[in-house]
Amino acid sequence: MSPLPAVDRARMRRERLDRLQTQMERQQVDAALLLHGPNVTYASGHVPDAVDASHINYRRPVAIVPAAGPVHLFVHDEVDHLDATVGAGLWPELDDDMGALRRAVAEAIGDTADRRIAVDTLTGAMARADVLAGAELVDASRILGPARVCKTADEVACIECSQIINEQAMAVARARCVPGASRSRVAGSYLRALRELGADHNEIDPIFQVMPRSRSAGPRTSTGDVAFPTGIDDPVFAEGDLVWVDAGHGYEGYASDFGRTWIVGRDPTAEERACFDRWVAVMDASYAAIRPGATLGDVGRAATAANDGVTPWLPHFYLAHGVGLDSAEMPMIGSDLGPEFDDGYQLEPGMIVVLEPVIWDDGVASYRAEEIVVVTDDGGRILTSNPGYAPFEHRGQGR
Amino acid sequence: MTAPSLLRHRRDRVLAAMADADLDVLVLGRQDDANYASGMHRLWTAGTRPFGAGCIVVRATGRTHVLSSWGAGLPDTMRWDDLYPSTWNPRVMAASMTMVPGLPEARRIGVDEVSPSFTRAIGRIAPGAEVVPADDVMTRARRIKSVEEIERIRIACTVAWTGVTAALDDPTNGVGAAIEAIAATGHTIPSSAPRVHTVEGAVVVDLGVLVDGYEGGLGGRFVDGERRSSTALTEACVAGATHASLAAAARGRWLVRGLGMGFERPVIERDHGAAEVLDPGMVLSVCDGEHRDIVAVTDDGPRLLSPRPRR
Repeated sequence: MSPLPAVDRARMRRERLDRLQTQMERQQVDAALLLHGPNVTYASGHVPDAVDASHINYRRPVAIVPAAGPVHLFVHDEVDHLDATVGAGLWPELDDDMGALRRAVAEAIGDTADRRIAVDTLTGAMARADVLAGAELVDASRILGPARVCKTADEVACIECSQIINEQAMAVARARCVPGASRSRVAGSYLRALRELGADHNEIDPIFQVMPRSRSAGPRTSTGDVAFPTGIDDPVFAEGDLVWVDAGHGYEGYASDFGRTWIVGRDPTAEERACFDRWVAVMDASYAAIRPGATLGDVGRAATAANDGVTPWLPHFYLAHGVGLDSAEMPMIGSDLGPEFDDGYQLEPGMIVVLEPVIWDDGVASYRAEEIVVVTDDGGRILTSNPGYAPFEHRGQGR
Repeated sequence: MTAPSLLRHRRDRVLAAMADADLDVLVLGRQDDANYASGMHRLWTAGTRPFGAGCIVVRATGRTHVLSSWGAGLPDTMRWDDLYPSTWNPRVMAASMTMVPGLPEARRIGVDEVSPSFTRAIGRIAPGAEVVPADDVMTRARRIKSVEEIERIRIACTVAWTGVTAALDDPTNGVGAAIEAIAATGHTIPSSAPRVHTVEGAVVVDLGVLVDGYEGGLGGRFVDGERRSSTALTEACVAGATHASLAAAARGRWLVRGLGMGFERPVIERDHGAAEVLDPGMVLSVCDGEHRDIVAVTDDGPRLLSPRPRR
């Protein structure tokens, strides 16, 4: 495996908390009560188990962030490597735990009356008990959003580690994606490979979706375009199936995003190759447009121009999304937030854009793949171990 | 796909619970709640999610509306116009919700979780509505399982056993072996964190899976392939059992909690659930130290849903 870049975890925790508390000060937020996993990780360094939402909802770690000083973290598992003040696990779903939650809040930030407190989630029990009585509540995304959008060097290294491991596990899955194999068996080989590479935070049921050749052969959609990812069915692959692959797991909580198009059991046809070549051209144009000061609109227009004026992405998604502790976060390029949003949003060093153009030749073939780009001081850098695009061959210049 | 009879049963329970709580509309953000009410199948992702209106149930129309941009994964009983498309744009979302018949004029809207921005948004969409927590309404709807649901859970437990058997055969790579063996049966979604480790000649295992939305699982200490951990707490899960009777039966650190479409209430353990009483029809994950079984409470005592399948 490619060597993994080094991560200084203590520095990462320090820098993240500093960014968060800086945003709190700027927006006159006195404290934050965080229950969403990625927000808890950002504030405290603690990474919740990657399990079903119903499970983590009940046993979720809770972080309470004061304006200054260490985070108060409440966890069910033992943690020993953090700078946080650690308390016993809370059960924010349960009415009979609200006394404990109220005591935790009081211990971390004192009285809540007339304070401005950022929260991401209020459970039913929290609402019934009015645990933040008298406080003005604001959405935690207002402070977490701007704090999280530009990544520190260590955060970028985590995403790169995550992607390298993902690419390695996908090499195992690709060898298993043959005629007669089911999606679940291919997914099982990927999930096992992740474990054997030391990764235990798979974040999504890995997608190996057989794509129709024409839009009309797929399910009805609100956009008239193709449905992806549906996350249903367990098809058995046949020779010539066009399979869109998409999967991510977490490294220190940081997501990766492997996207490729595979063809089962044979080499690509000339038409399929043409889609791939066009994808490469769109990718190169998008990548070349990425630099500090460029707007999201600039990147979207460069991509569309390289596809002869046809929008090269799925209308319910985007040309690109950010990645970090969430698998899709800001900035998003070409989303339904609209052109004004895109033209008013400038790239800055440390932002991440996952480019995922889609080339669709209706009735014939399609190609979709993804690459993670970090915005640098003078352009962008792709976070990858360069596994290639098999069964397609990239004949252009190396990136 | 969710069987129509099962879906009808669940919807009836949700609508009845809404009537009991005097709710006109339920807005569900939790994936398990949305799945219970709608039967919609969609891509699984791990971990908490920010609150969003994933599913809207309207009592007056009896209709269930689901956030989706496509018809894939829909139960047969659902119509195209029961859907509203996924969006990144809060204004688009608000416009979609305004179009849901019965929502703008609702008097009482229940939510299973909430965020400050959603509270403000719903105030504009349904200006006359009182917004109240309704996680407890969904808990009441989901608390008692039908015969069909219990069978689903039993099947999910047999899938979990496939993983346990693979882990016992190869404990060194136990978790990977278990995941791959379960995948070979067609299922790739975990419920809880898989655990396999070897201690003093024993293999300690705990696995949980979701099979078509229903959870199965088990845990225990295995010596020479046989489970050697205490079942006393499992046997104490009789109708009428209380916190005190369960605590008296437990040998180690214990947790008795609801199980169905994932982790559910009640939650009974040392410091919680003092007022809970077990009723027939409840399904429970019963964890005592390293031992975990899944049982249905019946009038004739606990029915084990996670026995070792016959070879």
